Amino acid sequence: MNISHIHKEKYGALLFLTFSMAYGALALNIELPFFMEEDPFTSRTMPEALAILGVIASLLMILLPTAGKQEKDRLSNAFRGLNWKDVILLLGLMVFYGLTIKTIGFIISTILFLAAGFWVLGERRIKVILLGSIPLVVIFWYVLSQLLGIYIDPGFMFYS
Amino acid sequence: MLEGIYTGLTTAFLPLNLLLVFVGCFAGTFIGMLPGLGPISAIALMIPITYGFNPSSGMILMAGVYYGAIFGGSTSSILINAPGVAGTVATSFDGYPMAQQGKAGKALALAAYSSFSGGTIAAIFLLIAAPALASVSLSFQSSDYFALMVLGLTAVSAFAGKGGFLKASIMTLFGLMIATIGTDGSSGVQRFTFGRLDLIDGISFLLLAMATFALSEALMVILKKDKVSKKAEEAAQGNLGSLKVSKEEVKDIAPTIGRSSVLGFFVGVLPGAGATIASFLAYGMERNLSRGKEKERFGKGSPRGLAAPETANNAACSGSFVPLLTLGIPGSGTTAVMLGALLSYGIRPGPRLFVEEPQVFWSVIISMYVGNVMLLILNLPLIPYIAKLLVLPRQILTPLILFFSLIGVYLVSFNTFDIQLMIFIAIIALVLRILDFPMAPMLLGFILGRMMEENLRRALLINDGSYSFLWERPITLTILIITLLTVMAPVFSYLKQKRSEKLVTA
Repeated sequence: MNISHIHKEKYGALLFLTFSMAYGALALNIELPFFMEEDPFTSRTMPEALAILGVIASLLMILLPTAGKQEKDRLSNAFRGLNWKDVILLLGLMVFYGLTIKTIGFIISTILFLAAGFWVLGERRIKVILLGSIPLVVIFWYVLSQLLGIYIDPGFMFYS
Repeated sequence: MLEGIYTGLTTAFLPLNLLLVFVGCFAGTFIGMLPGLGPISAIALMIPITYGFNPSSGMILMAGVYYGAIFGGSTSSILINAPGVAGTVATSFDGYPMAQQGKAGKALALAAYSSFSGGTIAAIFLLIAAPALASVSLSFQSSDYFALMVLGLTAVSAFAGKGGFLKASIMTLFGLMIATIGTDGSSGVQRFTFGRLDLIDGISFLLLAMATFALSEALMVILKKDKVSKKAEEAAQGNLGSLKVSKEEVKDIAPTIGRSSVLGFFVGVLPGAGATIASFLAYGMERNLSRGKEKERFGKGSPRGLAAPETANNAACSGSFVPLLTLGIPGSGTTAVMLGALLSYGIRPGPRLFVEEPQVFWSVIISMYVGNVMLLILNLPLIPYIAKLLVLPRQILTPLILFFSLIGVYLVSFNTFDIQLMIFIAIIALVLRILDFPMAPMLLGFILGRMMEENLRRALLINDGSYSFLWERPITLTILIITLLTVMAPVFSYLKQKRSEKLVTA
């Protein structure tokens, strides 16, 4: 059977089944301190129980018939027609933001993140992009660091 | 009790707290109005701000945001038929037709009055029910708490609706599994940390809430491409019409409000039910009770059809605070987020809260009422202006929401690993949302996971390592039997449906 034809719920259940089994395997390998090994309830008990329940629930979902068998619920249709390009670009921007916030500092990295975010989503007016990012970030930084006394790392670049 | 109410009143009426309720209601209305963003996102976005205040003020702010978000959801349901919140879907059944008939102002006013009345009646119930239940639950032991949490989690799945039971259960289990990441408090054993220092303390609830709600809801809107922006533009530019409601109309909806408040409150108290189910039940009840011409108007702009769900969802919001404040067990995703916030203040809700931190307990109850008043006298007149915010361009708003979510988590830990982890979780949440898996049960499972483990462990310790307390302690046994019945309910309805299908085909 072509996997793209299966119901999207079943696919979700399949993912969870895999996850539960991996989780269960890791749970079996949790190292216990020697004094705990004889206890009725150890650090492994709950994870093991959860893994078993997870396997049962996902198997039930895979085996039981699904309520709606409509064409649009197929896995291949669930991911179709969505605006992936913008979302992937935004995710990339967020990763970039996380990587740069400590090196080039809060103010510059945030301005870059916001300006690029506006651009990705279709804003092309330079004035709006600049006005939407720079004053907001500077005010935000001022309120946090000067008024509320929250320390914000200026960034490694500015130490040297 | 009177002393408690007095304490609550003095705390809630401090100028700072009044300001916070106002800010909360306003911010909540704004966020709730954005299609796609619900109260959980609204509260999660506010949590980093509340860390600067004391617990009472923080809770007051969040209660304001909660009410505001529900009201904001009603606004977008009525004006553009795009509910920001599941709890206000039923509002759009009659609210949107009214707006199309040029009576948007009246619909908004009716919604505000019904919300207010529902909130008022429920607040009175809460005043009576919460302390009473708190004193009963003082006799609860670890095993009872464990059983209650199991009940809470199964109820969430049972109320998930047709075909949703297994999906919600899977998500609950997923949340429970995520909760086991980090150091096990009792033994010091590291679980699922993969040797990473960043995971030793586990995943913070704020991070999870932001990633699975604020971040993924904002990205989901982009992913699905906005189809409502044109309607929003029309609504913002158009005239809302008069906000006045006539005497006859008030008389007409008064009994509806009475019935729906009671129904809403009790549904809200039930674990797992909450505002969405309350609003649908109230709508259904009113439609069944009405006769003749009035019945035909349902779905075409009936004031009763608008008042019922609006009253009930607000009453349910108050009701959902009962289990949170008295047992420390949240019944919905929204109250789960609030519980997470309280825990990070070092406050553990439950019957002891009533004894140890009466000012938090009472000021939350009182400020919920203040929030209702605020919504009525401040938000309603501002609605024509707030409606203009609906047209704030998506391309500006979304990056700002993403920024506030990321920075809110980052400013707590100052660890950039958290930002990357958030993005990773948000991607998983996006996929799960596309596959139609609900997020709220996961959050609930996550919040309750550690408490469940702790209580079960303690119960076993007290009972010399034997599980016999599960059937020997009457309270535990009763709760577990109710749990079993809740689990069986969807199974029975499934079997019944199967049988009727067979009869039809035979």
